[in-house]
Amino acid sequence: MPGAQCHAVRVSATGVGVRRLENRLAVAGPWRLWPDDVPATPAEPLAVRRREAELRRPVTRDVRCVLLRYADGTADLVVVAHRDRLDGPGLRHLTEVLTGERPPSPCPPPDVPRAETPPMAPAPDWGHGEPTATTHGSHHLDLPVPYVTTPASLRLPALALTLTRYDGHGSTGTATVGTDRTGALEYAVPASITLRDLATAEPTRVTRGVVAGILDEPEATPPLPVGTGAGPCERLPCLAPPFPLTFVFSPLPDGGTRLSCFFRAGHVSAAVAEGFTRHLGAVYRQSALAAGTAVADVELLDSDEQDRVARLGRPGAALASEPDTLPRAFARVAAATPDAVAVRDGEEELTYRELDERSARVAAGLRARGVRRGDRVGVCLERTAELVVTLLGVVRAGAAYVPTDPAYPVDRLAHTVSDAGLNVVVTRLAEFPRDGGVTLLRPDELADADGLWDVPGAAPDDPAYLIYTSGSTGRPKGVIVPHRNVVALIDATRDEYRLGPDDTWTLFHSAAFDFSVWEIWGCLLTGGRLVVVPYFVTRDPEDFRDLLLARQVTVLSQTPSAFSQLLQVDHARLPVRLVVFGGEPLDSRMLLPWFDRHPEHTCRMVNMFGITETTVHVTAQTVTRELALAGSRSVGPALPGWHLYVTDERGRLVPPGVTGEIRVGGAGVAAGYLDRPDLTAQRFVPDPYAQDPSARVYRSGDLGRLRPDGRLEHLGRIDSQVKIRGFRIELDEIRAVLLEDPAVAAAAVVVRRDDPADPATARLDAYVVPADGTAADPQGIRKRAAGILPEHMVPATVTPLDVLPLTTNGKLDPARLPVPVRSTASARPAPGPGGEGDIGLAEALREIWEAVLGTPVGLDDDFFELGGNSLFAVRVSAALRARGLPSLPLRDLYRTPTIRALTT
Amino acid sequence: MRLTGKTVVVTGASRGLGRATAVACAAEGADLALLDLCADLPGVPYPLGTAGQLEHTAALCRKAGSAVLTVRCDVRDLRSVEEAVALAEDRFGPLDGVVNNAGIAAPSGRPAHEIGEEEWALMIDVDLSGAWRMIRTVGKAMSARRSGSIVNIASTAGLVGYRHFAGYVAAKHGLIGLTKAAALDYAPRKVRVNAVCPGSVRDAPAAEGRMLAEIARALDVPVSEHEETFVTAQPMNALIEPEDVAAAVVYLLSDDARQVTGTTLTVDGGFTAR
Repeated sequence: MPGAQCHAVRVSATGVGVRRLENRLAVAGPWRLWPDDVPATPAEPLAVRRREAELRRPVTRDVRCVLLRYADGTADLVVVAHRDRLDGPGLRHLTEVLTGERPPSPCPPPDVPRAETPPMAPAPDWGHGEPTATTHGSHHLDLPVPYVTTPASLRLPALALTLTRYDGHGSTGTATVGTDRTGALEYAVPASITLRDLATAEPTRVTRGVVAGILDEPEATPPLPVGTGAGPCERLPCLAPPFPLTFVFSPLPDGGTRLSCFFRAGHVSAAVAEGFTRHLGAVYRQSALAAGTAVADVELLDSDEQDRVARLGRPGAALASEPDTLPRAFARVAAATPDAVAVRDGEEELTYRELDERSARVAAGLRARGVRRGDRVGVCLERTAELVVTLLGVVRAGAAYVPTDPAYPVDRLAHTVSDAGLNVVVTRLAEFPRDGGVTLLRPDELADADGLWDVPGAAPDDPAYLIYTSGSTGRPKGVIVPHRNVVALIDATRDEYRLGPDDTWTLFHSAAFDFSVWEIWGCLLTGGRLVVVPYFVTRDPEDFRDLLLARQVTVLSQTPSAFSQLLQVDHARLPVRLVVFGGEPLDSRMLLPWFDRHPEHTCRMVNMFGITETTVHVTAQTVTRELALAGSRSVGPALPGWHLYVTDERGRLVPPGVTGEIRVGGAGVAAGYLDRPDLTAQRFVPDPYAQDPSARVYRSGDLGRLRPDGRLEHLGRIDSQVKIRGFRIELDEIRAVLLEDPAVAAAAVVVRRDDPADPATARLDAYVVPADGTAADPQGIRKRAAGILPEHMVPATVTPLDVLPLTTNGKLDPARLPVPVRSTASARPAPGPGGEGDIGLAEALREIWEAVLGTPVGLDDDFFELGGNSLFAVRVSAALRARGLPSLPLRDLYRTPTIRALTT
Repeated sequence: MRLTGKTVVVTGASRGLGRATAVACAAEGADLALLDLCADLPGVPYPLGTAGQLEHTAALCRKAGSAVLTVRCDVRDLRSVEEAVALAEDRFGPLDGVVNNAGIAAPSGRPAHEIGEEEWALMIDVDLSGAWRMIRTVGKAMSARRSGSIVNIASTAGLVGYRHFAGYVAAKHGLIGLTKAAALDYAPRKVRVNAVCPGSVRDAPAAEGRMLAEIARALDVPVSEHEETFVTAQPMNALIEPEDVAAAVVYLLSDDARQVTGTTLTVDGGFTAR
C-alpha cells in the first residue's frame, strides 16, 4: 500500500511567502514547492478536508512540499516524505529550514537502514474488520507514563504480551510482532516471569506475517506531536499502516506518552482497534510503573471495562418470572384448558384434565410407597404418554425424576441407580438391574393407588430432575436442576416464540437427554399438545415426516444431525412454524434448502446453545437466510435471565472478540452435581459481577467469543481442541467447507490416529452423505475442499455414507463411523535406481504431492493427470519452501510434470 | 463521494464538457490535474479555450474541495503530454483516472473530397492521436499499479455517420476502436478503458461550451435556430446537458464500474436507438 513507507508533517507557514519558501527549499534539497489555494478559512470543513488529504497523500519515492493558502490569508505547509529519503530527523530538519527556525542547509539522509516490512498476517478472528475494506483509521490514547524516562525497550514486549492475550484460550504463549527496523520478531511470553524479565527477553527473528507492529524509526528529539489535527504543527508517522495494527509512541506536552494506533479496516474494526490500544496502554503502563508484576498477573481490562464487558453478556430484556414449581405451573394450565389435548401418543390422547388426574394418581402411588419430598425416583420408560404421566407424577410427589433410557447398557443403568441412591425406579424393563434392593414399579401398578392425593409438594428451589451427563473424562455425573430453573426457561421463551395452546410439539428426544425437558415442559407449561415420537420413527425421516404432517406439528426441536436427515426427504408441506436447534453446533448453511420451501416469515429457525448444567438452553439466535448465506456461527445473546462471560484460564474476562471459556450465570444455573462437592465447587464458581454474593456461574468447558454486539460465537469444547502437526484445527470449519459443496448433504469430520501413541500419525477423516441424486465422488469432494482449506486442514480421506450414525440422543456418534478405506490403487513405488536422481528430494516431493493432491503418487505419475492444477502447484511450492527445499517454478512443472523428471 | 482519494487528469479542461467533467469529479472528492492548450490552433476556424477559462475551471473545482493543478498541454505533442503527466504525478503521486476530452469539431462542413490534407491530419491528430498519446503516457504506470480508469470522450459521430463531417466522424470512430483495443491490452492489468458518446450537448453558458454552435456553423445552420434544430433530432426532445455526460464519466472513473471496460456509454437522448 503506498503511504505505508511515507510520513508527513504539517506546520504553520503564515506570512512566509512563496518566494522565500522556494529559496529555502532550494538549499535543503532538490524539491519544488506546490502552492495551492484553499477557498475557505482553516477551520471550515473544506479546509480540514484539504489538509487531511494533503497530509495523507503518499509520494512514490521522494519528498513533496505543499503550501496551502487559506481564504483568511493564513497558510499551512505540508511536507510528505518517503522514509528512504528522509527519516524523522531529516523531515524535521526540512520543516525547520522552511519555517525559518533553522538556517538553510541540506537535509541529512537517513542513517539507519530499514528492514523490509514483513508480510501482513491474515485478519485475526478477533478483529471484526470489514473484509473488503481497503481504508484505514487511527486512534490515539494519552497515557500517564513519562515519555522521556521510560525505556523504548518496553514497547515491543508489551505489544507481544497483549497479543498473546488476544490469542485467547490455548495461546501458545508466543507472539510475533514487527518493527520497521527489524522486521518480524517472535517473543516467548511465559506466564511465570515478571514484566521486567520480559523486557530483557531476546526475541527471535522470523519470516512470517505480522498482525501488529511498532514504528520504531528514529524521530527528531523531541518528535512533533502525533495526530492532533489542529494547532500549529502535527506529525503523521505513517500515511497508511505498514502493519495491520501499527503503534507509535510519542511525547505529550505534559511529559506523558501518547500511544497512537493506525489500523487497517480490513483487519480490525475501529472498536477493536480502540480496545487493543487501550489494552496495550494498560500493559505498557504496568511495564513502566510496576515492572515486578508477573506476566500472568497483568490486567488488560480496568474495572470499568470489566463492568462493560460483563454487561455485554447480559441480554437486553429482563426475565419476567416468579420462582415456581412445575406442578403449580402445570396446574394453572390444566385449570385454564382442562379439555385441551395435552399428550398424543399413537391413537391415545390425554386431555390436560386426564393428565392431571393420572399424574396425581402416580404421585399418590409413589407417596404410598414412601416417596417423600426431596427423594429421587428413577424413571426408565420408552417415549410414551405413560412416560409424561410418570414424570409429572414424580415431581407432583415432591420428588425429583432421574431419567434413564431403556436402551442404555445395563451397567450404565446400574451405575445411575447406585450413584443417584435410587430406592424406587418406575420401569417396564424386565432386565433393569435389581442390585442394592431397588424397588421396581410398573406405571400401571402406581396408577392404581386409591384416591387423589393432594398435599403441599416441592418448593421452587427443590430439585425437579437429575440428569446424568457423561463428561469427556470420568464417569457420568448427575446434574441437579431445581424446579424454578425450568419454570424460568419457559418464561424466558414463551413470549418471544409465542408459545401457546395452538402449538403442537414433538417429544422426540430421550427423557435422559435434557432436550426433552424443553420439549415436555415447554409444551405442557404453555398449554400445547405434545406428540410422542416413538423411537423407530425418530430414526426414519420419512416416517417422522409423515407423523409431523399427520399430527400437524408446529414446534419442532431437533439436533442439527437429526434435522439434516429430515432435510433429505420431501418436507415441503410441513406446517412447522418454529424449529429449535440444540444439542450440537449448527452449521447454518445446511438450512438453505429448508428456507427454499419454508421462508422465514412462515417458519422461524432458532439455534440455541445450551448446557445441561444451565438448564437446557443458554442463548438463542434466530437464523435467517442472510445469516445462513454468511455461514454465521453466532448462537445469539443469552436468554432473558441467563448471562454469559468469556474468560481466560484464570477466570478473567477477555476483551470482546477474543476466544475464551464460556461461563454461564443466571436463572438456569443448576444446583450442582450430586454427591460431587469437589467437582461442583470447581465448575460452579462465584459470579464476581453479580449483585447477589451467593450467585454462581457455571464454567462450561466450551470455547467461545463474545462479539462486540453481545452475541456469542460457540467454538466447541476446550478438551476436544484438535492439533495436527502443530496446527490448531477446528473440525467444524472443515465440516462447513464440505457442506458448501452442492454434492454434499451432510458431513462429519473426525481425527484419527493410526498409532494412538504417535501424534504424528494423526489425520483427518471426513464422512459425507451425498446430496440427493448425486453419485458419491469422494475424490471430487476432497479436491474441492483442498481448493479452499489450508493444506493442514484438508481431510486425508473422504468416505461416502448413506447416513451419519447418531447416538440415542440424536447427536453424531463418532464411534460408529467406519474406518476409512485408503486407496491402494497405485502401490508406493520404490525410489528410482541409485545414482539416478536426488532420492531425498524425490521422496519429499512425493509426500508433498500426495498431501496436496490427496492421492498416492508414483515417481512417473503426471502431476496434471493426477488432478494437479496451478493452484496445487503453488501449494507444492509453498510446502517445499516450508521444508527449506528449493521451490519449483511453475513452468518447470508444466514442462516436466513427473517427479522422476523433476529430480534427475 | 465516489472518487475520494483519486487523482483524475482531464484534457481540454478549460470549458465545455471538460469543465463539467472536472467539476463533477471534484464534487465526488477527486483531486484534479486540469490540462488545456490554452491557445488557438491554426486551421481551427473558431477560438479554443483560454488560460483564463482553465483557471476558472480550477477555481470551481477548488471550491468543491479539490486540490488542483493546472498545466498547459498540447495533445498533438508527445513530449508535452509526457511533461504534463510527470508534473501531475509529482504533485499528486500515482494517477487514478484520465479523461481524454480535448478535441476539435472543425474544420468540417464539407464533403470528403473537399477536405485538405492538413485539415484531415489536424483532425486526426487532435481527436484521435491525442487520446492515444495520453494512453501511451499513462498506460505503463497504471499497468504497474494494476489500477486505473481511462475515459475517452467520443461522440455519436463515433457510432453513426454525419454528413459533411468525414474527418470528425472518422476520428471518433477511430477513438472507439482505440478504446476497445486498449481495453483488451490493459484488461489483464486491471486498467480500464471506456468511451462516452454524447449526443447533441447544449452550449450551457456556465460551461462556456460552443461545440453545438460550431457544428451548426459548419453545417450553415443559423446560430439563432441551431438548438431547436438539434432538439428535434433527439427522441427525448431535449438537448443533453454537460452534467449528463459528466455523470457518465464519473461512473466509469469510479470503482462502481470496476468490471466495465471496452464499452461505449452513449448519452444521446435516444438518438442512436433508431
